[in-house]
Amino acid sequence: MADKELFDRREFFSWTRTGLGSAALASLLLRDGIVQGAAVPGEASDPCPHFKPRARRAIHICLVGAMSQVDTFDYKPDLLRAHGKALKTTERPDVFFGQVGLLRKPDWEFRQRGASGLWMSALFPHLASVADELTVIRSMYAETSNHTPATFQQNSGFRLNGFPVLGAWLSYGLGSESDNLPAFVVIPDVREYPAGGAINWSNGFLPGRHQGVVLRGKGDPIDDLTPALPVAAASERATRDLLDAMNHRHLTERGRSDPLAARIHSYQLAAKMQLAVPEVAALNRETAATHTLYGLDRPETADFGRSCLLARRLLERGVRFVQLFSGGTFGSPRRNWDGHEDMMRNHGREARRIDRPVAALLRDLRQRGMLDDTLVLFTTEFGRTPFTQSAANVVGKGRDHNQYGFSVWLAGAGLKHGIAHGATDEVGWKAVENRTHWHDFHATVLHLLGIHHERLTYYHNGIKRRLTNVHGTLIKEILA
Amino acid sequence: MKSRFVQSMMTVLLLLLAPSVLLHGAGPDFDKVVAPLLSERCLDCHRGAKPKGGLDLTRRRTAMAGGDQGGAIVPGKPDDSLLWQYVNDETMPPKKPLSAAEKSLLRTWIAAGAAWGTDPIDPFRITTAKRAGYSWWALQPVVKPKAPSIKDARWGRNPIDAFILNKLEARKLHPSGPADRRTLLRRLFFDLLGLPPTPEEIAEFEQDSSPDAYERRVNRCLQSPHYGVRWARHWLDVVRFGESNGFEFDELRPNAWRYRDWVVKAFNQDMPYDEFVRLQLAGDVLRPDDAEALTATGFLVAGAYDTVGQTQQSAAMKRVVRQDELEDIVGTVGQTFLGLTIHCARCHDHKFDPIRQVEYYRMTAALAGVRHGERPLPLGEKQLAPVRQRLAELEKQRSVLESPVRERILSERKTNPLPAPRPTAQWDFTSGLRDRIGGLDGTLHGDARLIAHGLKVDGKSGYVATLPLKHDLKAKTLEAWVSLDNLQQRGGGIVSVQTKDGAVFDAIVFGERDAGQWMAGSNGFVRSRSFAGPVETEANHRPVHVAIVWQEDGTIRAYRDGRPYGTPYKSSGPQVFKAEQSQVVFGLRHAPAGGNRLLAGVLRRVQLYDRALSATEVAASAGGSFLDAETVAGHLTEEQRAHYRKLLDEISKQHALLSRPSAKVHAVVPRQPEVAHLLLRGNPAQPAEVVSAGGVAAVAGLKADFGLSADAPEGERRKRLAAWITRPDNPLFARVIVNRLWHYHFGVGLVDTPNDFGFNGGRPSHPELLDWLAAELVENGWRLKHLHRLIVTSVAYRQASSWSEPAARVDAGNRLLWRKSPRRLEAEMVRDSILHVAGRLDPRLNGPGFQDIRLVRAPGTAAILYLPVDSAKDELQRRTLYRVWTRGGRNRLLDAFDCPDPSTTAPSRAMTTTPLQALAMLNNAFVLHMAQHFAQRLQREAGEDVDRQVRRAYLLAYGRTPAKDEADRARQAVRQHGLPVFTRALLNSNEFLYVD
Repeated sequence: MADKELFDRREFFSWTRTGLGSAALASLLLRDGIVQGAAVPGEASDPCPHFKPRARRAIHICLVGAMSQVDTFDYKPDLLRAHGKALKTTERPDVFFGQVGLLRKPDWEFRQRGASGLWMSALFPHLASVADELTVIRSMYAETSNHTPATFQQNSGFRLNGFPVLGAWLSYGLGSESDNLPAFVVIPDVREYPAGGAINWSNGFLPGRHQGVVLRGKGDPIDDLTPALPVAAASERATRDLLDAMNHRHLTERGRSDPLAARIHSYQLAAKMQLAVPEVAALNRETAATHTLYGLDRPETADFGRSCLLARRLLERGVRFVQLFSGGTFGSPRRNWDGHEDMMRNHGREARRIDRPVAALLRDLRQRGMLDDTLVLFTTEFGRTPFTQSAANVVGKGRDHNQYGFSVWLAGAGLKHGIAHGATDEVGWKAVENRTHWHDFHATVLHLLGIHHERLTYYHNGIKRRLTNVHGTLIKEILA
Repeated sequence: MKSRFVQSMMTVLLLLLAPSVLLHGAGPDFDKVVAPLLSERCLDCHRGAKPKGGLDLTRRRTAMAGGDQGGAIVPGKPDDSLLWQYVNDETMPPKKPLSAAEKSLLRTWIAAGAAWGTDPIDPFRITTAKRAGYSWWALQPVVKPKAPSIKDARWGRNPIDAFILNKLEARKLHPSGPADRRTLLRRLFFDLLGLPPTPEEIAEFEQDSSPDAYERRVNRCLQSPHYGVRWARHWLDVVRFGESNGFEFDELRPNAWRYRDWVVKAFNQDMPYDEFVRLQLAGDVLRPDDAEALTATGFLVAGAYDTVGQTQQSAAMKRVVRQDELEDIVGTVGQTFLGLTIHCARCHDHKFDPIRQVEYYRMTAALAGVRHGERPLPLGEKQLAPVRQRLAELEKQRSVLESPVRERILSERKTNPLPAPRPTAQWDFTSGLRDRIGGLDGTLHGDARLIAHGLKVDGKSGYVATLPLKHDLKAKTLEAWVSLDNLQQRGGGIVSVQTKDGAVFDAIVFGERDAGQWMAGSNGFVRSRSFAGPVETEANHRPVHVAIVWQEDGTIRAYRDGRPYGTPYKSSGPQVFKAEQSQVVFGLRHAPAGGNRLLAGVLRRVQLYDRALSATEVAASAGGSFLDAETVAGHLTEEQRAHYRKLLDEISKQHALLSRPSAKVHAVVPRQPEVAHLLLRGNPAQPAEVVSAGGVAAVAGLKADFGLSADAPEGERRKRLAAWITRPDNPLFARVIVNRLWHYHFGVGLVDTPNDFGFNGGRPSHPELLDWLAAELVENGWRLKHLHRLIVTSVAYRQASSWSEPAARVDAGNRLLWRKSPRRLEAEMVRDSILHVAGRLDPRLNGPGFQDIRLVRAPGTAAILYLPVDSAKDELQRRTLYRVWTRGGRNRLLDAFDCPDPSTTAPSRAMTTTPLQALAMLNNAFVLHMAQHFAQRLQREAGEDVDRQVRRAYLLAYGRTPAKDEADRARQAVRQHGLPVFTRALLNSNEFLYVD
């Protein structure tokens, strides 16, 4: 590799009291990301952060199935007027299912919200009440209108399987703020995993420890946290003691070995994690008022409310990146945002599940002072067409995929709040002003976390890979 | 660090050499010093179709003419030259100005008249501080070096040791002493088999005093079937083998395991490496009737496949998905066999290696016929010949019985002919292309033309398409009287009912799958299977009547000259062809016209029926010479009839054997591609020049031109590619594989980036050894076992792993091999070893894998989710290689030990230690169950005596007996808490998981 020397001339690690070289210890701790000169091949990237971060942690709410921009955050008065008319264009729209119906006005009324006057529809009434926290980008565009490659790109910058996702990159670059909790935690929709399952939180070519750790609401919050078969407490202790003695003897015989010492230490960390994880998952330690705030007492919001509350507790305790999924696979009956047939029913149902919890999360983070150094991302893989998916002379009820323009928002640290950046055309079809690609979005997110997107790299197959491939421009206009 | 070093070296060189050597005649030597400087500092921007500022500095003419701002170079007058002005005031290069020496060189050159050398400058010729040129080390021919002489002549068993010791001596390092026998055997077993030796094997080896005791163990390991299991895993890592499609649907590939088995077998049989690779690239072409060779092409389609993307409505997006897929395939081929990152040149010339964008597209053209899919495995002639023979005998007997009756009936029929069925549409080409019955008139396309009583199609462009169907068509019959220009043609359609875009069709097709045979063609072969009928021998000199009947229940039957042809079969059909959206075409399998879909021959008459004709009706239509079995039977005596029925029964049984739907394999399903173009910026919407299949020119000594036209058959392209890659004088091909072997034996390759021998990759720690090994491999018939043997019997490999502080100060990473680095077991070895010591390893190798995941079909979609199941179940206790390796369904225990994501190539594995790994080992159901099984085994083998149990446990887990303090501690734990407490600790222990 270009800047890797053939022979490792670096200083030896200091050999600490515990018998573990400091670099080996550092590479073992979940807390730290890239360690300078770490012994793991490829992990010789620039240590992060590269500059003072605005945000220390992030939560990503990932809407699966494509949320409509024209029904939510992208107010288009022209679309109201053009309802029932044909799209004015010389080009034939190349839509996913091939049908181009007439234009349809939003199914929810738009109003200006909060002190900022941000336009939002009535689909998200609770979120509208915290509109002043939001930084909306209305000019996103995607490279494909195929859900899963678009979802991969939303998360990893690439349309293909096998690339590390944002959370994995952050785990690699920054690690966790805590010794006891993983850096990257995933909370899937309780109804179903998104299509592709674990591919969505893959470490790709990064070491396996950067894969997202799935946290569940029931049973062991994470896999293998406690013995899968009953083991008496005394036996458990006896095994640990015996193991520790055997490992220390083995290490002593070999004189010195960082990997062996690290492995001994990993069992101590594991024990701490066994205490930390159940504690973080114990939602009953929250007040009744908090439960109500997140909607845990309402059937339609209980699922996502629990996920949001869990996410807040994880962030509070030092997890770097929590990713929540809203939506499962693309099947029938619909259980994600893919409103081909009936937008009113589909988006109505999905929004009801998340509106109150997401608003509660923002409010809660704000009141705890966490929004000052936490980043909240609310994204979807692409948008939906302003015209309906129906015969050419009909205003249908559903909308098809739209890769050319859609909306996402961010909230929290380092952002200008209550603004909307960029614009689509008159009817909300194509992004035309300040067009924003995922690479730009990712570059900006990394920037807020103190990372220069061109300097967070991992050598793989002939190239220092980046989250932003060879692209990415900081969206300066939205930075505070 | 390195680039700065090269930079300063270059400056020093320029300063030293400029006045003397390189200034000959009128000024500095252009090719030697000026062109490299321009290449390195200017040409990144100032070349190509759209050079920055309009200034192209690669050619004399354009360099002198200058760019948008006018003349750049005025020979003899540097101060009047814009080039010099910009460089001198450091406007250019924009980010980092030239050094004083570089500036002075440029000035001197212009002052001396700016003499030009080779025109244009080839920016890839020169290796600079920023990129590799043709002179790059890995691209040079392999020359077998002599083993160096070493001071300590006692050290060393084979030339490998001389190379290793030579470097150690140069750094004043000493190798470690030999490892003890137990350690050595454990190392060897894990390395070659992925399993630990049994206590008995260790004891035997420790007591074996014969001089070749070790060599005999090496041979035994190399002959073990487990060798292939271990080494196949390495290969599958590199080729990113997965058993599901990935992307949205992530469908299971139930027949992908055959490729895995093929790899295991190839390793075990020590298949020559060049052959191993040739078959993976083009086995189906090289040996068309060989099931194994076809299976080998599973390599080409081992990666992910985007079902939704490849079938979406948007043609533009479909092309992008296909180009992404090709990039993945080309990338894997380049990295796996050549250590070249060719795929980095998809959008532009390679930024670091001498690979042009057009070369990426040549490689793409070579592989553009590769498509994912399932194919039936050809049955071997060995199985088929006896069946054919038996059939011939039966047919003879039948004919003896039938002939007298047949003549009688036919003579009766002459007086009373059978009524022919009435078609729904009929074209006899006597009055143009008019449908005499149904109004589905046709139109000529391409070079199709009408001749006296027939339609002539040329196999290149000619066909006929009719008006759209007026009624939906479900069950149907197509028949045609046709003669063929030749019997060698493959895939031409006689007549076809298709959707207007050609996406869905049912057709009478000649010779597509099986040479010379008639078949029912369909889109993607979804309703096609071989009739296994006889090979056509007459249609080239007379018209034959061919009819295919698609029944309501999906059964498809074929007839030739009114008699049943081959064996009918039940398809997934029937396909409904919608009125208005469908049509009939003649001379074409389906639209669009191209590839092998066109027929060369003459159609005399074509008829379509909107129902399935009976055998008798077909016979009647064909001319009434056919008799169905019942008619014949009715004219036989009772005794004859019984015999006749038995005979027919036996005949159909034999036919069934011939056409048995054979086993399937996930392998390449090639499709003749459209002519390939270079795509500007990699964008399918911006095709540029046409390219034909070819290799990379920078590889020294090989001709990159395959001598193929742009429309060459796809099989030929892959064949040439395979030949080009596997040539013995391809320096990369041999170097890359010997480096991989070294990498797996020592933990780090001689080049530490096994997939990348380019500029961004590592430099060899022992370049001569690398070449020596490469040459040795080629000289020994590409046999990998020969190299294994050399490596594992070397003293370097047999060293102890002891730590040495002084040595580590010089070479902390142990690249010089002053010891054998200890290694943690890889994920599969962890699981296999646990099974092995617990006495639960299921010894069954080969065949479909085991599923430690549950397939959940998401409602209303083809998508599959894979959820983990309790992995301690008995039927799952086979070697981990046989785990069904889906992309969306991972195994957390294996993941915790750095098992790679099957979606991406993993030339080397990370080795990490995390608390999650500790949790998985402590708490996973599999490990806990195995700790119990291990305890039960100890009771079985050592009885109730705790000391004996502990002793046995140490022997099984570590291959040694416990020291007194160890035994004491273990005994106490077992007495107080029971055996599983102890066995669980053993399985978690470092000594179990690390190999010295």
